[in-house]
Amino acid sequence: MSNSLLINPSAFEAGLEAAFRARTSVTETHGAAYERFASQHLPNRRREGWKWSDYNAALRSVSPASAPDAVETIAPSAFAPLDPIEIQIVNGRVILPTDAAPKGVRFGIMDAVGTIPELETHAIASMNVAMSPKAFGLEIKNGVLFNRPVLIRHIGNGAAPIFSQTMIRVGEKAFATIIETYEGATPALASHLCHLVIRDGGSLNRFIMNETDDNTVNHSICAAKIEERAHFRQTSLSTGARLSRHETVLHFWGEGAKAQIDSAALLRSDRHADFTTHVLHKAPGCETRQLHKGVADEKGRAVFQGKFEVQRAAQKTDAKMTANALLLSNGAEANHKPELEIYADDVECAHGSTCGALDADALFYLRQRGLNEHQARALLIEAFAGEVIDVIENDEIREVYTAKVSQWLEARA
Amino acid sequence: MLKIDNLHVAVGAEDNKSEIIKGLSLEVPAGEVHAIMGPNGSGKSTLSYTAAGRDGYEATRGSITLEGADILDMDPDERAAKGLFLSFQHPMEIPGVQTMHFIRTAMNSQRKARGEDEVSAADFIKLIREKAKLVGLDDAKLKRPFNVGFSGGEKKRMEMLQMAMFEPTFSIMDETDSGLDIDALKMVGDVVNALRGPGRGFLVITHYQRLLEYIKPDRVHVLAGGRIVKSGGANLAAELEKSGYDQFVEAA
Ligand SMILES: Nc1ncnc2c1ncn2[C@@H]1O[C@H](COP(=O)(O)OP(=O)(O)OP(=O)(O)O)[C@@H](O)[C@H]1O
Ligand SMILES: [Mg+2]
Repeated sequence: MSNSLLINPSAFEAGLEAAFRARTSVTETHGAAYERFASQHLPNRRREGWKWSDYNAALRSVSPASAPDAVETIAPSAFAPLDPIEIQIVNGRVILPTDAAPKGVRFGIMDAVGTIPELETHAIASMNVAMSPKAFGLEIKNGVLFNRPVLIRHIGNGAAPIFSQTMIRVGEKAFATIIETYEGATPALASHLCHLVIRDGGSLNRFIMNETDDNTVNHSICAAKIEERAHFRQTSLSTGARLSRHETVLHFWGEGAKAQIDSAALLRSDRHADFTTHVLHKAPGCETRQLHKGVADEKGRAVFQGKFEVQRAAQKTDAKMTANALLLSNGAEANHKPELEIYADDVECAHGSTCGALDADALFYLRQRGLNEHQARALLIEAFAGEVIDVIENDEIREVYTAKVSQWLEARA
Repeated sequence: MLKIDNLHVAVGAEDNKSEIIKGLSLEVPAGEVHAIMGPNGSGKSTLSYTAAGRDGYEATRGSITLEGADILDMDPDERAAKGLFLSFQHPMEIPGVQTMHFIRTAMNSQRKARGEDEVSAADFIKLIREKAKLVGLDDAKLKRPFNVGFSGGEKKRMEMLQMAMFEPTFSIMDETDSGLDIDALKMVGDVVNALRGPGRGFLVITHYQRLLEYIKPDRVHVLAGGRIVKSGGANLAAELEKSGYDQFVEAA
């Protein structure tokens, strides 16, 4: 590859290509992934599905550093009191816990994936496949009900692009809880790719907390394969970043599986959070519930794009999607794009989307009872986000999320 | 205690305001209970919203003072901290707001504004259990989001629960009796009578004499066409029940 594969690369893309060429042990699949990225470039707003999250605009003039900055100290996680198995992925490098994996659980560092069929056409996922050094792998063996949460902390620092991967496999009739946090400051893109499989009758609770800084640009994408009668439940909370997107691509492969995908965004200054999901129902009798709550203050921007696709074979699909936005100031924005694409006839699918301000009548009621304006607004915002947070079944995890919401509300001017 | 002097209130859109209260004067001395009766649309709720400080119900002329302090310039929560309580004609459902958490926050916020100590969690629980029993709301109702799915009567009980908890200096009760069964009417009477005393006052808005049998008012006023058109003793309520408001509608 002597000539650039990119046509008119931006400063960022040129830097990325140099980094790719500098990689040792590049396989053919890496090369193919890089070509898939290069043929598309970084997505910009004219690309379908990227209208409200323009990665090209955010990154084009960023000249990536060749190496990230060191992460000197890592503060204990807010989830530490849960005594999780803690894995840190610092600047893309996996740091395993010192204690051995408990019985029935296997984890370690493994080779990054060559390709994920569901994500082949995705530019940033292809870039991730081309660039990721190693992956973190976790397996919960068949029948193992593993109650101790696994905490995966993605921590980045500095002006070099950062890539990481996790591979998760929940065995038949097994159970696991995974918490993923996104932390640090990565203005030149932190990209994370997750591939997960839930085998027949397995169950996974996945929690996401994005608490990156103001200048961060990050992207995470998870491709999940849900098999027969498996359960997947995901709760995400993001306080946004300069540009932030969490994508979930969920494929139901077996009958009678269920997914619940909840997300909340709390955004101020000019922070941005995008939750984009695509749920593909391939098998009959699956159920999907999705609820998104976006709160935007100042110049915050909450983006939600949800797509339910129901293939002809997926009769008796039951899928409901709701997205609600709460705008707290004139400069705030919410963009919703709910989509249903249905090829089966015997299904129940619905979506609803609302966008509004705080209810003036409720505010007056609360203030008549003695709450000052700040308290009254905070209570109503908390109630709004609470539809996602309050339903978290695990008490300790819910408390961390509730505290995060309170912290955000207290910081409100 | 509560003194309303030549009050004028206009409501509606900025460019299309109509005057609803037209020079209303009324005084409820400390320790007394006054009732206001009057036809639909005569401005009873408008008066209570203006007193409580709701947006869009600003006085264009006149004054309202509570214990000598002009309250019209105060925020709604300042008025609440000063001891003004409004029992809403149509109490809201507020989804997602935990009832106990809200009432405790409200109580402590009022106390803080008055420079008093906050109530401890234990004392609060004890108090709310006791008052909930008094107004006939069970524990399960207290654990639900505020008023969500409550019947009309249950919402009124929730208003009385808060009144009993806060022990306000001055309470305006806007048709608290509408939609209540007989036992609940008696309960409202009990709550008012327990609070009644030298340092407190009440303005009870009602369409029916029934509630006034439990709460014997010191005075009864008729509000029609935005003014008090007649005032009298407790027996005026019974008279009105017989004769109706036609005479006043003419007069206003
Ligand atoms: N926000 C508002 N905008 C426009 N008109 C209003 C508004 N609030 C009240 N009004 C009007 O003012 C008049 C008085 O209303 P109000 O609710 O005070 O009457 P009321 O005496 O409480 O009646 P009821 O016995 O039915 O409760 C009515 O004609 C009503 O339509
Ligand atoms: Mg009324």
